[in-house]
Amino acid sequence: MAVKVQPQKLKKRISRSYLTSTISISMVLFLIGILGLVLLNAERLAKYVRENIGFTLVLNDAVQESEIDGLMKTLSATDFVKSVEYIDKETAAERLKVELGEDFMGFLGYNPLLSSIDVKLLADYATPEKLVVLEKKFMEYPQVKEVLFQRDMVNIINENVKKIGIILVFFSGLLLFIFSALINNTIRISIYSQRFIINTMLLVGATNRFIRNPFVKRSVTYGIAGALAANVLLFILMFTYSQELKGIVDTEDYKIFAVVFVADLLIGVLISWSSTYFAVNKFLRLKFDELFY
Amino acid sequence: MSEENIIELVNADIVQRDHVVLSDISLEIKTGEFVYMIGKVGSGKSSLIKTLNAELPLTKGEGTVAGFNLADLKTRDIPFLRRKLGVVFQDFRLLSDRNVYDNLAFVLKATDWKDATEIEDRVLAVLDKVDMTNKIKSMPHQLSGGEQQRVVIARALLNNPEIILADEPTGNLDPQTSIDLLQIFKDLNEQGKTVVIATHDYPLIRRFPARIITVDDQKIYETVITKKEKG
Repeated sequence: MAVKVQPQKLKKRISRSYLTSTISISMVLFLIGILGLVLLNAERLAKYVRENIGFTLVLNDAVQESEIDGLMKTLSATDFVKSVEYIDKETAAERLKVELGEDFMGFLGYNPLLSSIDVKLLADYATPEKLVVLEKKFMEYPQVKEVLFQRDMVNIINENVKKIGIILVFFSGLLLFIFSALINNTIRISIYSQRFIINTMLLVGATNRFIRNPFVKRSVTYGIAGALAANVLLFILMFTYSQELKGIVDTEDYKIFAVVFVADLLIGVLISWSSTYFAVNKFLRLKFDELFY
Repeated sequence: MSEENIIELVNADIVQRDHVVLSDISLEIKTGEFVYMIGKVGSGKSSLIKTLNAELPLTKGEGTVAGFNLADLKTRDIPFLRRKLGVVFQDFRLLSDRNVYDNLAFVLKATDWKDATEIEDRVLAVLDKVDMTNKIKSMPHQLSGGEQQRVVIARALLNNPEIILADEPTGNLDPQTSIDLLQIFKDLNEQGKTVVIATHDYPLIRRFPARIITVDDQKIYETVITKKEKG
């Protein structure tokens, strides 16, 4: 006997209300996703900038090629060096010629430049304090005549990266709070509209958990659906505008996408679950008369 | 407290929010009794029923309903008290978002019925008792007041409760429907159920006489209908 039938109008109204709620959640999660991508890529950008900070180790004129090879190997084996590049006197002169736009060796009659090694550091070591320590360490190598690096530039880069990082994190936190409040509000309104039904369920002997579970399950399902929709939108946006976004977002870095995808899903589930759980609990606690206030 | 009393209050206050509706009342209702609770509108009949149903807390005095101590009732035990009661609400309190079948099936599922066939059989059985099987797919708003009241009675019968509490069950009904409903309550009482009805439908009381408790001026009194009153 098919008795579990709801009128078409009611079915439509219910699905429309859920659809609206899911769309709201997916839009908010879409924005959270964009924010996540920017935040994760900001870290990548900061790392990139830091890892381009480096030393130039100017070598003694009398250093043999085998000693240079040895020094390069020693440097590469340390845990703070990202890359090393040997620049001989001739290459250095060629580069300077291009930079100056004139043949300085023509009027000097000789090449005054020395061979050098450009050392790029890992991001974690590109701080002013660690650079000073490393400078001393480099000077201990007998092959090294002089250590050059732009101290002021390092300070400025580090300070700006720090400032931008703080602003981004603060802004992200604020937006996450606002977005969570928006989703929470949408869910609470939807549950508020069913407060009398919840109260009646209590009066016929249903336990709190029995009443709450279907609300929570439904809400989490919509949270997941909203997160999936948000992620699809995010992928479409990223790949449609990948050229324009080059430099800001790395569309090749699937790890970041995976992190944002999972984070979106978790945030969607967590906010839906907690908002529904607490909203239903509130109405489970209220007496019938209190539902009118 | 006596074991044969299925409902008992001793020196109890019935409180609605901060307002004491009934003060220092004592009441004994034995298993299988049929009791009317009469009194003016606002006298406290509904509040008394709400206290018996644990909708309102018993903050002063003592009370037991179907073996549950009202004064010491934990929130987690309230659903189990309510499963021993069949409550017919004045304002029906049907679940407005589902049809008659789902309204009744919800109660069974909420009280640990698992088998779909058994649930369907039980719903049909109680609807048959109140002659409402033809409205099984209807939504509450598609039913008349009398029909909704019948569905609520059917709902109250689902778990074969020990006590039936009815708050103004005939309040909005025509005389014939009221008589039909009262007959249902009488039949249930003959089957051994304890029935407590709050009403001010005096013609109906005369037609189906039983013990009467009057609620007035913050107190309750036993009232005996004399021959003259019976008319």
